[in-house]
Amino acid sequence: MKLARTLGLASVLALSAGLAHADSTVRFWYHFDNADNPMDALITAFEEANPGITVEAENVPWNSYYDQLYTAIIGGNAPDAAMVKAFAQPRLVEMGALAPIDDWLASWDATAGLQDNLIDLVKGPDGNQYYLPVQYVVLYLYYRPDMFAELGLEVPTTCEEFREAAKALTRDTDGDGQTDVYGFGFRGSKGGHDHWASFVLGAEGVSLTEGLTSEAGVAGTQFVADLFQKDEVFPPSAPNDGFQEIIGAFKAGKTAMTIHHIGSANGMVEALGDNVSAAPVPECGGGRWTAFGDESTAVLSSAEDPVAAWKWISFLSSAGNNAKFNEATGQLPVVKADSESWTLHPQRFVQATVDSLPFAQMLPNSSETADFVNTIWPTAMQRVLTGDITAEEMNAEIAKLYGG
Amino acid sequence: MTDATMPHAQTQAAPPRRALARRVLPYAMLSPAVLVTLAIVFFPMVQTAWMSLHDYVLFRPNTFDWVGLKNFRTALQDEVLWISLWHTVIWMCTTIPAQLLLGLVTALLLNQDFPWRPVARALIIIPWALPSVVIALMWVWIYDSNYGVANEFLLRLGLIQKAIPWLANPDTALAAIILTLTWQGFPFFAVMILAGLQSIPRSYYEAASIDGASPWRQFWHITLPGISGVMVTAVLLRTIWVANSFDVIFVMTGGGPGYATYTLPLFAFVKARTNLDFGYGSAIAVLFTLLLMLVVVVYLKRTGKAVS
Repeated sequence: MKLARTLGLASVLALSAGLAHADSTVRFWYHFDNADNPMDALITAFEEANPGITVEAENVPWNSYYDQLYTAIIGGNAPDAAMVKAFAQPRLVEMGALAPIDDWLASWDATAGLQDNLIDLVKGPDGNQYYLPVQYVVLYLYYRPDMFAELGLEVPTTCEEFREAAKALTRDTDGDGQTDVYGFGFRGSKGGHDHWASFVLGAEGVSLTEGLTSEAGVAGTQFVADLFQKDEVFPPSAPNDGFQEIIGAFKAGKTAMTIHHIGSANGMVEALGDNVSAAPVPECGGGRWTAFGDESTAVLSSAEDPVAAWKWISFLSSAGNNAKFNEATGQLPVVKADSESWTLHPQRFVQATVDSLPFAQMLPNSSETADFVNTIWPTAMQRVLTGDITAEEMNAEIAKLYGG
Repeated sequence: MTDATMPHAQTQAAPPRRALARRVLPYAMLSPAVLVTLAIVFFPMVQTAWMSLHDYVLFRPNTFDWVGLKNFRTALQDEVLWISLWHTVIWMCTTIPAQLLLGLVTALLLNQDFPWRPVARALIIIPWALPSVVIALMWVWIYDSNYGVANEFLLRLGLIQKAIPWLANPDTALAAIILTLTWQGFPFFAVMILAGLQSIPRSYYEAASIDGASPWRQFWHITLPGISGVMVTAVLLRTIWVANSFDVIFVMTGGGPGYATYTLPLFAFVKARTNLDFGYGSAIAVLFTLLLMLVVVVYLKRTGKAVS
């Protein structure tokens, strides 16, 4: 009897030990628009290099990515690692959903190989490091060189020049009394805050947290409203236009300028060939502001095997793998070695990105930014464009959100 | 003796057992459905009501403070709630009559004899059978100010001078969505009313013809009373569905431009799912449920009457 009990206990212990050393599975969430999804190839390479770790990667649609991520975290079904943007970090930290990666970063031999400052740019609001950069972009101005040449226009470097160029480019090309080309494709729906910010936040002393209700801040928003209402240089659908609409209209020749990043460059070249180029956004109110578009990966605090999750995310940000990852997303690698050998984009778009880097900025690292991006800005901007509220009221609403 | 008493005892005991079984059986058979409904409908409803009395923001999961009716007071003072309520009223008062009228005309036409009638009856159901998201995306392209067929058609007919951004203009956005919903929902009325029409005996019409009744009088005195029951039930059901639906609006405009196409369910959804303010979002949902309860009570009374 005693022998049987001892054998039984030994079996249970052996089973437990076996389970403790069983293979790990890393559940990873990401969002790719590109149909040529390279994730399977990256996973295969990772699993070969890390026997015992299996990666289950799930491509979650972008429109509901954060809704689903927050809900999964609260519901106790969060992934072990996920792709994340800086604007979501304050909320995720507040939720206690992220695991600090400082110690792993300190002992990781590839940390020094990342682009300068990128790690610092995505530092957590409490001073810890949670995010590991995986790709980046900087927004710049797309324009049609053929249309500019036809009208004898120079690429605008200031807001005043931009306005004059946009007015000249807005025209009826076939004489049927209808406007066929608009000067600028403005993104009035969710995600368009970067367009607005380029016209408003360049002014001295104006930021989302300070000076937005000053004369200069209100003048910036009024400038955007006037472009639509008085000058009519945006397509009439601008208040509702999103990413697909502004890119589609530019490719179709319906607009002569718009703002986006290098991620859309290859698609633009495919549609327009040499008739598309890029330049930094114009200087408005005495300064320039453009958005630094970040994307990182993070280990969730609820990860079953955090070390395996770290191995996977650091794999994505290491030389070679990071290039493969960015070939699919069309954005820029964060690894210096991959950047040096980067040939995916035509040089003029890489140059516009590099030229824009000195004044590229991120949105405030606070919990309010998610509301600003998702609801406050789109609703207020649409109301200004349609004449429902004034530029002053819009800026006051945003300032109130940030406690101004 | 024993042999004689046993059957007697069995016949004495059987009727109460059968009666008990007969009483229990309906509950036993209904209980799976009731349990599932309790779990997936009533439990979340109670949870929503409970959350509406708390300050509960999803990204602050450790804070779940009792605030009583604060969320309701805030909601009633919120300009957006009243804008959304007004749009909901417009939305329901135009969409449902439009669907009913179009459905009635379609049902009357489909009730006539003509070649390929079964095919027409099958085709008419397509808008109802399509997923809402597909319909919404399809109509977004129809209304598109650059490439949409709506503008192209109206421009060619000379009815408008320049392309109209139907969904980006606050004066036309809600109307454009109402038209989409009307198109999506009218087949439901058509099918329901058609079923009602087919239940009216032909002899009524023959008698009315012999008495010299005009087609209009036949419609007024025979057809309409014959389908009124179906129509009232369909209107009540559809009112509840249309009031609750926000998927088409969400895909087509997301509530914009500004608040031009906000309705109460959409407002509750945006507050809860996008702003992650589940306390406030739940309060809006509870307020809307109370309003909708009036329609539900009328429907339940009507269903109860029909059963009895």
